[in-house]
Amino acid sequence: MTVSERWFRLLLRFYPADFRDEMGDALVEAYRDRAQDVLRRGGTLRLAAVCVRALADSLRNGVGERLRPAISWRRSGDWGRDVEHAIRRLRRAPTLVLSTMATLGVGLGVSAVVYTVVQRVLIDPMPYKDPDDLYYVWRDYGPIADLKRGMLAGTDVVELQKAGGVIEQVVGLGRQLNTFSIGSESERIEIPVMFTSPALFDLLGVPPALGRAFAADEVGPGTSSVMVLTHELWNRLGADPEVIGREVRLNNRPYNVIGVLPRGFVFARNESAGPPQPADAFIPFRVLLEDANPRDGSYAGLIRARRGTTPEQLAAAVEAVGRTVDLRDFQGRGLRLYPVGLKSDLVAGVRPALVALALGGVFLVLAVMVNLASVLLARTAQREQELAVSRALGASGAAVARATLFEGALLGLGGGGVAALGGFWAVRALVALAPLDLPRREAIAVDGRIAGVAIAAGAVIGLLAALAPATWAARASLSSLLASSAVRGGGGHGRLRRGMVVTQVALSLVLLAAGGLVVRSFERLLRVNPGFRPEGVLSLWVRMPPEFFPEGKDVVALQDRIEQELAALPGVSGASATSVLPFSPRPLPAFHAASSYQTAITFPGAPGNRGDADRDAPLVDLVGARPTYFDVMGIRLLAGRGFDPARREDEALIDGALARQFFPTTSPIGAEVRIGDRPLTIVGVVRQPRLYDVHQDGRPQLFVRAEGFVRHQAFVLRTDRDPRALIPDVRLAIRRIDPRLVAAQIRPMQELIEGSLRRQRISAVLLSAFALGALLLAAMGLYAIVAGAVMRRRHELALRLVVGADHRALLRLVVREGATLVMLGVLIGAPGIYFAGRVIRGVLVGVAPLDPLTLISVAAGLGLVAMLSCYVPARRVLGIDPAQLLRQE
Amino acid sequence: MDRARRRNDERPALRPVEFHILLSLTAGERHGYGIIQDIEARGETVVPDVGTMYRALARMLENGLIEAAVRRPAPEADDERRNYYRITDAGRRAAKTEARRLEMLMRAARIGGLLPKDTK
Repeated sequence: MTVSERWFRLLLRFYPADFRDEMGDALVEAYRDRAQDVLRRGGTLRLAAVCVRALADSLRNGVGERLRPAISWRRSGDWGRDVEHAIRRLRRAPTLVLSTMATLGVGLGVSAVVYTVVQRVLIDPMPYKDPDDLYYVWRDYGPIADLKRGMLAGTDVVELQKAGGVIEQVVGLGRQLNTFSIGSESERIEIPVMFTSPALFDLLGVPPALGRAFAADEVGPGTSSVMVLTHELWNRLGADPEVIGREVRLNNRPYNVIGVLPRGFVFARNESAGPPQPADAFIPFRVLLEDANPRDGSYAGLIRARRGTTPEQLAAAVEAVGRTVDLRDFQGRGLRLYPVGLKSDLVAGVRPALVALALGGVFLVLAVMVNLASVLLARTAQREQELAVSRALGASGAAVARATLFEGALLGLGGGGVAALGGFWAVRALVALAPLDLPRREAIAVDGRIAGVAIAAGAVIGLLAALAPATWAARASLSSLLASSAVRGGGGHGRLRRGMVVTQVALSLVLLAAGGLVVRSFERLLRVNPGFRPEGVLSLWVRMPPEFFPEGKDVVALQDRIEQELAALPGVSGASATSVLPFSPRPLPAFHAASSYQTAITFPGAPGNRGDADRDAPLVDLVGARPTYFDVMGIRLLAGRGFDPARREDEALIDGALARQFFPTTSPIGAEVRIGDRPLTIVGVVRQPRLYDVHQDGRPQLFVRAEGFVRHQAFVLRTDRDPRALIPDVRLAIRRIDPRLVAAQIRPMQELIEGSLRRQRISAVLLSAFALGALLLAAMGLYAIVAGAVMRRRHELALRLVVGADHRALLRLVVREGATLVMLGVLIGAPGIYFAGRVIRGVLVGVAPLDPLTLISVAAGLGLVAMLSCYVPARRVLGIDPAQLLRQE
Repeated sequence: MDRARRRNDERPALRPVEFHILLSLTAGERHGYGIIQDIEARGETVVPDVGTMYRALARMLENGLIEAAVRRPAPEADDERRNYYRITDAGRRAAKTEARRLEMLMRAARIGGLLPKDTK
C-alpha cells in the first residue's frame, strides 16, 4: 500500500461507519486513480495538492454525512404524521414515558426553581425607578475603630445633601426600627416602623397608591404626626379605602395616615451588619439631622445619583464628602465614606450560595439530559430489528431518525410541562423554607415566562438527547443487523452509551463533591458551640414603650415582676433578661450613657494598653444583662463572678477577647472599664455568647446591668421540657401582669440559631439533592450498561464456561467492564472538583474547598454505589447455564 | 393519502452531480474515477470532489437510481479490480425527466433572451 493510499484510508475515518463499510473501498479506489493520474501527468507536487484537497473533501463530506439524518429531516418533514406516530409509539411504553417524565420533571423542576430564585434575586431590577442609580453610603472608620461598614451620623447625611453635583438626592433612614403596637386594646399587633427623611418615596420614584407622600417640611420636632402605610399593613388593618386622614394610634399616640403605598412595594433598609430590615409603616424623623451627634452612627444613607453617573464618579463625590466629615468631626484621622449599589449591597451575602446553586442546577440538567439520551438509545437498540425491517421495507433513514427525534422532543416537552407545574409548587415550598432575610424573598414566584422557559428547555433537552440515538437509528439496516447478530458484538451504540455513562459518573462526582463539602460545612455549623447552651431555652421580647409606662421606676418594677413570674412557671428552672438577644434583630439601644449598643470603651491603666488612643478604645457590643442571665443561658464564666443581685450598677463583665487583649498577664477582676466618662468595675470574665455568626466571635462584648436602662428586654427562661410547650403559659403570665404588655417573638433559642443557619441549610439540602439525583442517574446508567453487556455477551460467556472458566471469573470480567467506566468518569470529573470547590468557596465555613476527608468519602461513596450498580446486574452471569444456552442456537 | 402520493410523484429535481453520474452511466458501466473523468471531459468547471460524488452514489444506490455492477478489472488502470456502477430503469427515467426539464429551461432562456435564439 502506498503512502497516499494509507492517507486516503485514514481520511475515511471522517465518515460514519456504515458509509465507510458501504463505499469506503470504492472511495479509496477513486482517490488512488486520481493520484496515479496526476502523478503520471504532473509529479509529486500535484500529488501533494491532491492529498490536501482530499483532506478538505473528507472533512466536509464526512461531517455532512454524519449530520445527514438531521438535515434531511429538516428538508422533508411531515410534522403532524410524525407527532402522531411518536405519540402512538410512546403510548405503548407507559413505563418509559412515566420514568423519563419523572426524571425530567424533577431535574428540570428543581433547576427551574433555582433559576427563578437566581433570576429574581440577582438579575431582575429592583422595583424602583432607575434602580441602578441608587446607592447606600457607609462609614469606614479605618484606623479609628474596627468598623468597616458603619452607619452614618445625621450630620453626614446633611453633608451629602449639600454636596450636589452627581449626587441628586439623599435621604437618611433611622437605624432604629421601632416596633409599635397598633390597633385596639383587645387586638394589638406589633409592627416594624421606619423613620426616614421625607423625600424617601420621591427618591425611590414610587408614589403612594392612595393619598400622598411626606411633604418636605413634615420633619423635625413639633410637626404633625403623619405616617405612610404599606399595602400589606393597610390590608391587615381592614383595607379601608377611606383610610386617608384617619387617625391611627401607635403606642397610644395618634398618627395621621396620609398615604398607602402600592401593592408589592417593599423597602428594606440595609443593615451595617446582619439582614436587611423591612418595615410596615414609615414616619418622618422627629429630630433634625443637623442636630445629631456627629460621632454617632445612627442613620443609613441612601442616595440617588444623577442619571448617567458612573459608579466611579459617584464614589469620588462621596469620598470628597467623607474627607470633609473626617476633617471636621474626626480631626482627619482617616474616616472614609463609600457608596455601594443598592442591589449589590442587598444581595452580596447570598450571591455565592446562589451562584453555587445555579451551577449545580446546570450540572443536574446535564446529567438528566445524558440520562435521557442513554434511555432513548437503549430503546432504539431494542427496536433495532423493527427499525432494520422498516428500513428494508422502504422507510428512509431520515424518516426513522425523525421518528426518534420526535419521541425525544415529546418526552422532553412533557417533562418540561411537569417541571413547570412542579416548579410553581416547589418555589412556594422553597420560599417558605428560605431564610427570612433572603433578599427580595417576596418577589420569588414562578411566572408564565419561567414556566415557558422550563417547557422549552425540556423540549430542547429532549431533542438534544435524541440526536445521538436518531443518528444511530437512521443507520440501522438489515445488513448491519445481520452482521452484528452474527458476531454477537452488538450494534454501534455500545461505545456511545459507555461514553454517556462516563459523562454521568463525572457529572455526579463533581456534584457530589460540591454537595459533600456544603453538607459538611453545614454539619460543622450545627455542632459549633455558640458560647451558650441554647437547648431548653425559650426567649421572648417584652417592650415597655414610654407612651404606656412613662415612669422609669414602673418599668424596673414590672421587669422584676416579669422575671419572678416567669421563673415561677411550672417546669422553669430559671428566668432572666438581656438587652441583646443572640441571633435576633438588633433591639433599641436605650442606655443612659451610650446612645448606641455599639460603643467605644477604655481600660484606664490596663497593662494591655499600647498608648495608641484608637487601639486602646475598642468598639464593643454593649450587652445589658440581668444578674442570672449567664446562668440561665449557660454562658461560661472564665474568671471572677457574675453580677451581684443586690443592685450594684457600677459592675461590668468582659468577654475573653477583651481580657486577653488588655490583661494578658494579670487578672482583670477589680480593674476599671469606662464607657465614655462612666467608670465601672470589672467583676468577671465570660466566654462570648455569639450574637451574629455561630461559627465565629463577633465584636468584643461588655456586659452591664440591664435593669432600668432598657425599656425593651428579651426574657429567657430555661426549662427541662420542650420550650415550645411553655408558650401558652408564658403568654398568659405576661398578660396577667399588665394587659398593656405583649409577649412578642416567643421562640426557642434553638430555633433562632437554626433560623440564622437557614441559608446554609437550604444550600446544603439543595446541593445534596442535586448530587444524589445525579448519582442515582449515573447508577441507573451503569446498571443498564452492565445488564445489557451480560445479555449481549451471554453466548460468549457461556462458551467461556464451557472451556473452563468458572462463574466467579465471569463475574469479575463483567464487573470490570463497569468499573473501567467508573474509573474513567472519576478521572474526567476530578479536575471539575477543583473548579466546583472554587465556586462554592464563599459558601463554606470551616471546611477547605479541597477538604481531603470529604473528597475521599465522596469518592468512596460514589465508588461503592457504582460498584453495586455493576455488581447487581452482573450477578446475572451466575444464572448462565451454558448447556441450555448453547442448545438454543 | 393524497399527500403521500403527491410526494412520490414529485421527485425533486436531480442535483447536478447526480445528473452527471446518470449521464455517464447511460453510456455504459463506469467505476468512480471514470465518472469523474467523464465530468471533466464534459467541460464542467466545477468538478465534484471524490467524497461528494460517492455520497451522491450512496444516495442513488439507496433510491434505486443506480446499482452496483460486478467488480472487475479496469483495463485502463493496469487491470486492477474496480467497483462498477450501472444505471437502472428508474435512473434512466429520472435522467430523462431531468433532461426534459433542462431542455424546457433552455427554451425559456432563449425566449427570454438569455441565450441566442435558434442556434441549433
